[in-house]
Amino acid sequence: MPAFPYLLYNWHGGLFKINITTIGMMILTGLIVLIFLRIAMRRLDMRKPTKMQNLVEWMIDFTASMARDTMPSEEVVQWVLPFAFTMLIFLFVSNWLGVIATVAIHQNTPIPWLGLTAANLAAGHNEVPLFDSPTANMSMTLGMAVMVWLLSHARGLRHPRQYFSHFKNPMAIIEEITNPLTHGMRLFGNIFAGEALISVILGIPLLFGFIPIGLPLLLIWLLYSGFVSTIQAYVFTILMTLYVGQKSYGPSSHH
Amino acid sequence: MFELGTFIVSIITFLIMFWIIARYGFKPLAVMLEKRRVHVETQITEAEQSRQQAEAFLSEQRQLLDEARHQAKAILDEARLQADQQGRELVAQAQEEARRLLEENRAMIERERADMLSGVMASVSSLSVELSEKLLRRHLSHEVHEEMIKEAEKILGELVC
Repeated sequence: MPAFPYLLYNWHGGLFKINITTIGMMILTGLIVLIFLRIAMRRLDMRKPTKMQNLVEWMIDFTASMARDTMPSEEVVQWVLPFAFTMLIFLFVSNWLGVIATVAIHQNTPIPWLGLTAANLAAGHNEVPLFDSPTANMSMTLGMAVMVWLLSHARGLRHPRQYFSHFKNPMAIIEEITNPLTHGMRLFGNIFAGEALISVILGIPLLFGFIPIGLPLLLIWLLYSGFVSTIQAYVFTILMTLYVGQKSYGPSSHH
Repeated sequence: MFELGTFIVSIITFLIMFWIIARYGFKPLAVMLEKRRVHVETQITEAEQSRQQAEAFLSEQRQLLDEARHQAKAILDEARLQADQQGRELVAQAQEEARRLLEENRAMIERERADMLSGVMASVSSLSVELSEKLLRRHLSHEVHEEMIKEAEKILGELVC
Protein backbone atom coordinates (compact mmCIF):
# COMPACT_ATOMS: atom_id res chain seq x y z
CA MET A 1 0.00 0.00 0.00
CA PRO A 2 1.73 3.17 -1.14
CA ALA A 3 1.78 6.10 1.24
CA PHE A 4 -0.71 8.66 -0.01
CA PRO A 5 -0.51 12.22 1.30
CA TYR A 6 -3.54 13.16 3.40
CA LEU A 7 -5.22 16.31 4.66
CA LEU A 8 -6.85 16.37 8.13
CA TYR A 9 -4.83 13.28 8.98
CA ASN A 10 -4.85 13.81 12.71
CA TRP A 11 -8.24 15.54 13.06
CA HIS A 12 -10.68 13.39 15.09
CA GLY A 13 -8.23 10.51 14.98
CA GLY A 14 -8.03 10.53 11.18
CA LEU A 15 -11.77 9.95 10.67
CA PHE A 16 -12.03 12.59 7.98
CA LYS A 17 -8.67 12.24 6.30
CA ILE A 18 -8.69 13.40 2.70
CA ASN A 19 -6.51 11.86 0.01
CA ILE A 20 -4.77 14.83 -1.61
CA THR A 21 -3.64 12.87 -4.68
CA THR A 22 -7.14 11.65 -5.45
CA ILE A 23 -8.79 15.05 -5.05
CA GLY A 24 -5.97 16.75 -6.95
CA MET A 25 -6.30 14.25 -9.78
CA MET A 26 -10.04 14.82 -9.88
CA ILE A 27 -9.46 18.52 -10.27
CA LEU A 28 -6.83 17.88 -12.94
CA THR A 29 -9.22 15.54 -14.78
CA GLY A 30 -11.95 18.16 -14.62
CA LEU A 31 -9.56 20.76 -16.04
CA ILE A 32 -8.47 18.43 -18.86
CA VAL A 33 -12.10 17.75 -19.75
CA LEU A 34 -12.97 21.42 -19.61
CA ILE A 35 -9.97 22.45 -21.73
CA PHE A 36 -10.73 19.70 -24.26
CA LEU A 37 -14.32 20.84 -24.53
CA ARG A 38 -13.34 24.50 -24.80
CA ILE A 39 -10.86 23.69 -27.59
CA ALA A 40 -13.53 21.62 -29.36
CA MET A 41 -15.89 24.52 -28.99
CA ARG A 42 -13.69 27.12 -30.71
CA ARG A 43 -15.54 28.42 -33.75
CA LEU A 44 -18.67 26.62 -32.66
CA ASP A 45 -20.85 26.56 -35.72
CA MET A 46 -24.25 25.13 -36.46
CA ARG A 47 -23.54 24.57 -40.16
CA LYS A 48 -19.83 23.86 -40.53
CA PRO A 49 -18.64 21.83 -37.53
CA THR A 50 -14.90 21.27 -37.14
CA LYS A 51 -13.50 17.79 -36.59
CA MET A 52 -13.28 18.34 -32.83
CA GLN A 53 -16.82 19.66 -32.74
CA ASN A 54 -17.98 16.60 -34.67
CA LEU A 55 -16.23 14.37 -32.15
CA VAL A 56 -17.90 16.08 -29.20
CA GLU A 57 -21.27 16.02 -30.94
CA TRP A 58 -20.81 12.32 -31.54
CA MET A 59 -20.02 11.87 -27.85
CA ILE A 60 -23.19 13.71 -26.87
CA ASP A 61 -25.20 11.63 -29.33
CA PHE A 62 -23.61 8.48 -27.94
CA THR A 63 -24.48 9.47 -24.38
CA ALA A 64 -28.02 10.39 -25.38
CA SER A 65 -28.63 7.10 -27.18
CA MET A 66 -27.19 5.24 -24.20
CA ALA A 67 -29.57 7.10 -21.90
CA ARG A 68 -32.49 6.49 -24.29
CA ASP A 69 -31.82 2.76 -24.10
CA THR A 70 -32.10 2.69 -20.32
CA MET A 71 -34.52 5.49 -19.41
CA PRO A 72 -38.28 5.61 -19.73
CA SER A 73 -38.85 8.96 -21.41
CA GLU A 74 -37.12 11.54 -23.57
CA GLU A 75 -37.70 14.18 -20.91
CA VAL A 76 -35.59 12.25 -18.37
CA VAL A 77 -32.94 11.66 -21.03
CA GLN A 78 -32.65 15.39 -21.68
CA TRP A 79 -32.58 16.03 -17.95
CA VAL A 80 -29.79 13.55 -17.26
CA LEU A 81 -27.81 14.23 -20.44
CA PRO A 82 -25.40 16.90 -19.07
CA PHE A 83 -24.71 14.77 -16.01
CA ALA A 84 -24.24 11.56 -17.99
CA PHE A 85 -22.07 13.29 -20.56
CA THR A 86 -19.85 14.86 -17.90
CA MET A 87 -19.62 11.59 -16.01
CA LEU A 88 -18.72 9.57 -19.11
CA ILE A 89 -15.98 11.88 -20.31
CA PHE A 90 -14.72 12.54 -16.77
CA LEU A 91 -14.41 8.85 -15.93
CA PHE A 92 -12.90 8.10 -19.33
CA VAL A 93 -10.16 10.67 -18.78
CA SER A 94 -9.55 9.69 -15.15
CA ASN A 95 -9.34 5.98 -15.99
CA TRP A 96 -6.93 6.64 -18.81
CA LEU A 97 -4.68 8.93 -16.75
CA GLY A 98 -3.56 5.96 -14.67
CA VAL A 99 -2.91 3.89 -17.81
CA ILE A 100 -0.86 6.65 -19.44
CA ALA A 101 1.28 7.34 -16.40
CA THR A 102 1.56 7.00 -12.65
CA VAL A 103 4.04 9.22 -10.89
CA ALA A 104 5.37 8.57 -7.41
CA ILE A 105 8.17 10.29 -5.58
CA HIS A 106 10.60 8.82 -3.08
CA GLN A 107 10.17 10.44 0.28
CA ASN A 108 12.51 9.34 2.99
CA THR A 109 11.85 11.98 5.64
CA PRO A 110 8.41 11.69 7.22
CA ILE A 111 5.95 14.64 7.02
CA PRO A 112 3.51 13.77 9.82
CA TRP A 113 0.87 16.48 9.19
CA LEU A 114 0.37 15.20 5.61
CA GLY A 115 -0.08 11.67 6.89
CA LEU A 116 3.39 10.66 5.72
CA THR A 117 4.45 9.19 9.04
CA ALA A 118 7.47 6.98 9.32
CA ALA A 119 5.28 3.86 9.63
CA ASN A 120 3.22 4.71 6.55
CA LEU A 121 6.30 5.49 4.49
CA ALA A 122 7.87 2.22 5.53
CA ALA A 123 4.69 0.32 4.53
CA GLY A 124 4.73 2.03 1.13
CA HIS A 125 8.45 1.53 0.47
CA ASN A 126 8.94 5.30 0.75
CA GLU A 127 6.84 5.80 -2.40
CA VAL A 128 4.41 8.70 -2.41
CA PRO A 129 2.09 8.65 -5.49
CA LEU A 130 1.31 12.10 -6.86
CA PHE A 131 -0.11 11.26 -10.28
CA ASP A 132 -2.60 8.44 -10.37
CA SER A 133 -6.10 7.52 -11.51
CA PRO A 134 -8.56 9.10 -9.12
CA THR A 135 -10.79 6.10 -9.85
CA ALA A 136 -8.15 3.77 -8.40
CA ASN A 137 -9.31 4.99 -5.01
CA MET A 138 -12.13 3.09 -3.34
CA SER A 139 -13.48 6.08 -1.46
CA MET A 140 -13.73 8.14 -4.61
CA THR A 141 -15.58 5.51 -6.66
CA LEU A 142 -17.89 4.74 -3.75
CA GLY A 143 -18.48 8.46 -3.44
CA MET A 144 -19.52 8.64 -7.06
CA ALA A 145 -21.76 5.59 -6.65
CA VAL A 146 -23.43 6.98 -3.53
CA MET A 147 -23.89 10.31 -5.29
CA VAL A 148 -25.72 8.49 -8.11
CA TRP A 149 -27.71 6.58 -5.51
CA LEU A 150 -28.74 9.81 -3.77
CA LEU A 151 -29.62 11.36 -7.12
CA SER A 152 -31.81 8.41 -8.12
CA HIS A 153 -33.65 8.44 -4.79
CA ALA A 154 -34.12 12.19 -4.90
CA ARG A 155 -35.67 11.74 -8.32
CA GLY A 156 -37.77 8.80 -7.13
CA LEU A 157 -39.21 10.88 -4.29
CA ARG A 158 -40.85 13.16 -6.86
CA HIS A 159 -43.49 10.43 -7.12
CA PRO A 160 -43.70 9.16 -3.50
CA ARG A 161 -46.52 6.65 -4.02
CA GLN A 162 -44.76 4.70 -6.77
CA TYR A 163 -41.44 5.14 -4.99
CA PHE A 164 -42.60 3.61 -1.72
CA SER A 165 -44.75 0.88 -3.28
CA HIS A 166 -41.53 -0.33 -4.89
CA PHE A 167 -40.17 -1.22 -1.43
CA LYS A 168 -42.91 -3.70 -0.53
CA ASN A 169 -40.51 -6.30 -1.86
CA PRO A 170 -37.68 -6.85 0.68
CA MET A 171 -35.32 -7.80 -2.15
CA ALA A 172 -35.64 -4.22 -3.37
CA ILE A 173 -34.19 -2.99 -0.09
CA ILE A 174 -31.23 -5.34 -0.35
CA GLU A 175 -30.78 -4.18 -3.91
CA GLU A 176 -30.62 -0.59 -2.72
CA ILE A 177 -27.56 -1.51 -0.65
CA THR A 178 -25.82 -3.79 -3.11
CA ASN A 179 -26.37 -1.58 -6.14
CA PRO A 180 -24.26 1.40 -5.05
CA LEU A 181 -21.69 -0.93 -3.49
CA THR A 182 -21.13 -2.95 -6.66
CA HIS A 183 -21.48 0.16 -8.77
CA GLY A 184 -18.54 1.81 -7.01
CA MET A 185 -16.44 -1.26 -6.29
CA ARG A 186 -16.60 -2.50 -9.88
CA LEU A 187 -15.01 0.69 -11.18
CA PHE A 188 -12.45 0.77 -8.38
CA GLY A 189 -11.52 -2.89 -8.73
CA ASN A 190 -10.96 -2.73 -12.48
CA ILE A 191 -8.87 0.43 -12.44
CA PHE A 192 -6.95 -0.47 -9.29
CA ALA A 193 -6.13 -3.95 -10.59
CA GLY A 194 -4.93 -2.46 -13.86
CA GLU A 195 -2.60 -0.05 -12.11
CA ALA A 196 -1.41 -2.59 -9.56
CA LEU A 197 -0.49 -5.10 -12.24
CA ILE A 198 1.28 -2.40 -14.28
CA SER A 199 3.47 -1.58 -11.28
CA VAL A 200 4.10 -5.27 -10.66
CA ILE A 201 5.12 -5.83 -14.30
CA LEU A 202 7.35 -2.76 -14.13
CA GLY A 203 8.99 -4.36 -11.13
CA ILE A 204 10.16 -7.41 -13.12
CA PRO A 205 13.96 -7.24 -13.18
CA LEU A 206 15.84 -6.98 -16.48
CA LEU A 207 17.33 -10.25 -17.77
CA PHE A 208 21.13 -10.03 -17.71
CA GLY A 209 20.65 -6.47 -16.62
CA PHE A 210 19.52 -5.15 -20.02
CA ILE A 211 16.84 -7.42 -21.63
CA PRO A 212 13.36 -6.18 -20.59
CA ILE A 213 11.53 -9.50 -20.51
CA GLY A 214 8.47 -7.86 -19.00
CA LEU A 215 8.00 -5.50 -21.96
CA PRO A 216 5.65 -7.67 -24.12
CA LEU A 217 3.62 -8.45 -21.04
CA LEU A 218 3.49 -4.76 -20.20
CA LEU A 219 2.34 -3.80 -23.70
CA ILE A 220 -0.42 -6.42 -23.65
CA TRP A 221 -1.51 -5.36 -20.21
CA LEU A 222 -1.47 -1.66 -21.13
CA LEU A 223 -3.71 -2.37 -24.15
CA TYR A 224 -6.01 -4.39 -21.97
CA SER A 225 -6.03 -1.69 -19.29
CA GLY A 226 -6.89 0.92 -21.88
CA PHE A 227 -9.76 -1.25 -23.06
CA VAL A 228 -10.96 -1.81 -19.50
CA SER A 229 -10.66 1.90 -18.72
CA THR A 230 -12.89 2.77 -21.65
CA ILE A 231 -15.40 0.03 -20.92
CA GLN A 232 -15.61 0.86 -17.21
CA ALA A 233 -16.33 4.53 -17.90
CA TYR A 234 -19.14 3.37 -20.20
CA VAL A 235 -20.43 0.78 -17.72
CA PHE A 236 -20.45 3.19 -14.80
CA THR A 237 -22.35 5.80 -16.81
CA ILE A 238 -24.89 3.39 -18.27
CA LEU A 239 -25.56 1.98 -14.80
CA MET A 240 -26.03 5.53 -13.59
CA THR A 241 -28.65 6.20 -16.27
CA LEU A 242 -30.23 2.83 -15.49
CA TYR A 243 -30.52 3.51 -11.76
CA VAL A 244 -31.84 7.02 -12.29
CA GLY A 245 -34.18 5.77 -15.01
CA GLN A 246 -35.58 3.04 -12.73
CA LYS A 247 -36.64 5.71 -10.26
CA SER A 248 -38.06 8.10 -12.85
CA TYR A 249 -41.76 7.37 -12.66
CA GLY A 250 -43.03 10.01 -15.01
CA PRO A 251 -45.01 9.23 -18.15
CA SER A 252 -42.94 7.10 -20.50
CA SER A 253 -42.68 8.34 -24.04
CA HIS A 254 -40.97 5.50 -25.83
CA HIS A 255 -40.46 1.70 -25.65
CA MET B 1 -9.02 1.53 2.55
CA PHE B 2 -12.22 3.47 2.90
CA GLU B 3 -11.64 7.08 3.89
CA LEU B 4 -14.67 9.11 4.85
CA GLY B 5 -12.98 12.45 4.15
CA THR B 6 -11.94 11.44 0.64
CA PHE B 7 -15.42 10.02 0.10
CA ILE B 8 -17.20 13.25 0.99
CA VAL B 9 -14.71 15.60 -0.63
CA SER B 10 -14.66 13.57 -3.87
CA ILE B 11 -18.45 13.90 -4.11
CA ILE B 12 -18.16 17.67 -3.57
CA THR B 13 -15.25 17.94 -6.02
CA PHE B 14 -17.10 15.99 -8.64
CA LEU B 15 -20.21 18.11 -8.22
CA ILE B 16 -18.15 21.31 -8.55
CA MET B 17 -16.39 19.90 -11.61
CA PHE B 18 -19.75 18.84 -13.02
CA TRP B 19 -21.15 22.32 -12.46
CA ILE B 20 -18.18 23.97 -14.19
CA ILE B 21 -18.11 21.52 -17.10
CA ALA B 22 -21.87 21.61 -17.58
CA ARG B 23 -21.87 25.40 -17.45
CA TYR B 24 -18.82 26.16 -19.61
CA GLY B 25 -18.24 22.93 -21.50
CA PHE B 26 -21.63 21.44 -22.21
CA LYS B 27 -24.19 24.22 -22.26
CA PRO B 28 -22.88 26.08 -25.36
CA LEU B 29 -22.84 22.79 -27.23
CA ALA B 30 -26.31 21.90 -26.07
CA VAL B 31 -27.56 25.35 -27.05
CA MET B 32 -25.96 24.96 -30.48
CA LEU B 33 -27.45 21.49 -30.92
CA GLU B 34 -30.86 22.76 -29.88
CA LYS B 35 -30.52 25.65 -32.30
CA ARG B 36 -29.62 23.25 -35.08
CA ARG B 37 -32.51 20.97 -34.21
CA VAL B 38 -34.95 23.88 -34.24
CA HIS B 39 -33.43 25.14 -37.50
CA VAL B 40 -33.77 21.77 -39.18
CA GLU B 41 -37.30 21.39 -37.88
CA THR B 42 -38.39 24.81 -39.15
CA GLN B 43 -36.71 24.13 -42.48
CA ILE B 44 -38.58 20.86 -42.83
CA THR B 45 -41.86 22.48 -41.81
CA GLU B 46 -41.31 25.32 -44.25
CA ALA B 47 -40.46 22.90 -47.03
CA GLU B 48 -43.61 20.92 -46.31
CA GLN B 49 -45.67 24.08 -46.27
CA SER B 50 -44.25 25.35 -49.53
CA ARG B 51 -44.83 21.98 -51.12
CA GLN B 52 -48.43 22.05 -49.99
CA GLN B 53 -48.76 25.57 -51.34
CA ALA B 54 -47.26 24.50 -54.64
CA GLU B 55 -49.66 21.59 -54.81
CA ALA B 56 -52.63 23.81 -54.06
CA PHE B 57 -51.43 26.29 -56.64
CA LEU B 58 -51.00 23.55 -59.20
CA SER B 59 -54.46 22.12 -58.60
CA GLU B 60 -55.90 25.62 -58.84
CA GLN B 61 -54.12 26.13 -62.13
CA ARG B 62 -55.37 22.83 -63.38
CA GLN B 63 -58.90 23.73 -62.38
CA LEU B 64 -58.63 27.09 -64.09
CA LEU B 65 -57.31 25.42 -67.21
CA ASP B 66 -60.18 22.95 -67.15
CA GLU B 67 -62.63 25.77 -66.74
CA ALA B 68 -61.10 27.71 -69.61
CA ARG B 69 -61.23 24.60 -71.77
CA HIS B 70 -64.88 24.07 -70.87
CA GLN B 71 -65.69 27.67 -71.62
CA ALA B 72 -63.92 27.56 -74.95
CA LYS B 73 -65.82 24.40 -75.84
CA ALA B 74 -69.11 25.97 -74.80
CA ILE B 75 -68.40 29.10 -76.82
CA LEU B 76 -67.44 27.03 -79.84
CA ASP B 77 -70.56 24.87 -79.51
CA GLU B 78 -72.76 27.88 -79.23
CA ALA B 79 -71.10 29.50 -82.21
CA ARG B 80 -71.55 26.33 -84.21
CA LEU B 81 -75.20 26.15 -83.21
CA GLN B 82 -75.73 29.78 -84.08
CA ALA B 83 -74.01 29.36 -87.41
CA ASP B 84 -76.16 26.33 -88.12
CA GLN B 85 -79.29 28.18 -87.28
CA GLN B 86 -78.22 31.20 -89.25
CA GLY B 87 -77.44 29.01 -92.24
CA ARG B 88 -80.77 27.33 -91.97
CA GLU B 89 -82.49 30.69 -91.72
CA LEU B 90 -80.60 31.95 -94.73
CA VAL B 91 -81.55 28.91 -96.76
CA ALA B 92 -85.14 29.27 -95.65
CA GLN B 93 -85.10 32.92 -96.57
CA ALA B 94 -83.60 32.15 -99.96
CA GLN B 95 -86.15 29.45 -100.56
CA GLU B 96 -88.92 31.83 -99.54
CA GLU B 97 -87.51 34.50 -101.82
CA ALA B 98 -87.24 32.08 -104.69
CA ARG B 99 -90.78 30.89 -104.09
CA ARG B 100 -92.03 34.44 -103.95
CA LEU B 101 -90.21 35.34 -107.15
CA LEU B 102 -91.58 32.25 -108.87
CA GLU B 103 -95.06 33.12 -107.69
CA GLU B 104 -94.71 36.68 -108.85
CA ASN B 105 -93.39 35.59 -112.20
CA ARG B 106 -96.10 33.04 -112.56
CA ALA B 107 -98.72 35.63 -111.71
CA MET B 108 -97.13 38.06 -114.14
CA ILE B 109 -97.10 35.42 -116.88
CA GLU B 110 -100.67 34.57 -116.11
CA ARG B 111 -101.63 38.19 -116.23
CA GLU B 112 -99.77 38.77 -119.44
CA ARG B 113 -101.28 35.70 -120.97
CA ALA B 114 -104.71 36.90 -119.95
CA ASP B 115 -103.95 40.33 -121.36
CA MET B 116 -102.65 38.85 -124.55
CA LEU B 117 -105.60 36.50 -124.75
CA SER B 118 -108.06 39.30 -124.27
CA GLY B 119 -106.13 41.32 -126.91
CA VAL B 120 -106.12 38.38 -129.23
CA MET B 121 -109.78 37.77 -128.52
CA ALA B 122 -110.58 41.40 -129.28
CA SER B 123 -108.63 41.35 -132.50
CA VAL B 124 -110.01 37.90 -133.44
CA SER B 125 -113.57 39.02 -132.83
CA SER B 126 -113.11 42.27 -134.72
CA LEU B 127 -111.33 40.35 -137.47
CA SER B 128 -114.03 37.78 -137.62
CA VAL B 129 -116.63 40.54 -137.75
CA GLU B 130 -114.69 42.26 -140.46
CA LEU B 131 -114.33 39.00 -142.25
CA SER B 132 -117.94 38.16 -141.95
CA GLU B 133 -118.79 41.75 -143.03
CA LYS B 134 -116.64 41.37 -146.01
CA LEU B 135 -118.12 37.97 -146.67
CA LEU B 136 -121.60 39.17 -146.33
CA ARG B 137 -120.87 42.48 -148.10
CA ARG B 138 -123.33 44.23 -146.26
CA HIS B 139 -123.45 46.73 -143.54
CA LEU B 140 -124.91 45.55 -140.47
CA SER B 141 -126.42 47.84 -138.05
CA HIS B 142 -124.40 48.95 -135.08
CA GLU B 143 -126.59 46.91 -132.73
CA VAL B 144 -126.21 43.73 -134.71
CA HIS B 145 -122.51 44.35 -134.91
CA GLU B 146 -122.23 44.68 -131.15
CA GLU B 147 -124.29 41.58 -130.63
CA MET B 148 -122.15 39.56 -132.94
CA ILE B 149 -118.96 40.68 -131.23
CA LYS B 150 -120.43 39.68 -127.87
CA GLU B 151 -121.40 36.31 -129.21
CA ALA B 152 -118.02 35.76 -130.67
CA GLU B 153 -116.37 36.76 -127.45
CA LYS B 154 -118.57 34.37 -125.59
CA ILE B 155 -117.70 31.51 -127.85
CA LEU B 156 -114.04 32.35 -127.69
CA GLY B 157 -114.25 32.64 -123.96
CA GLU B 158 -115.79 29.18 -123.80
CA LEU B 159 -113.13 27.96 -126.16
CA VAL B 160 -110.29 29.38 -124.13
CA CYS B 161 -111.53 28.55 -120.70
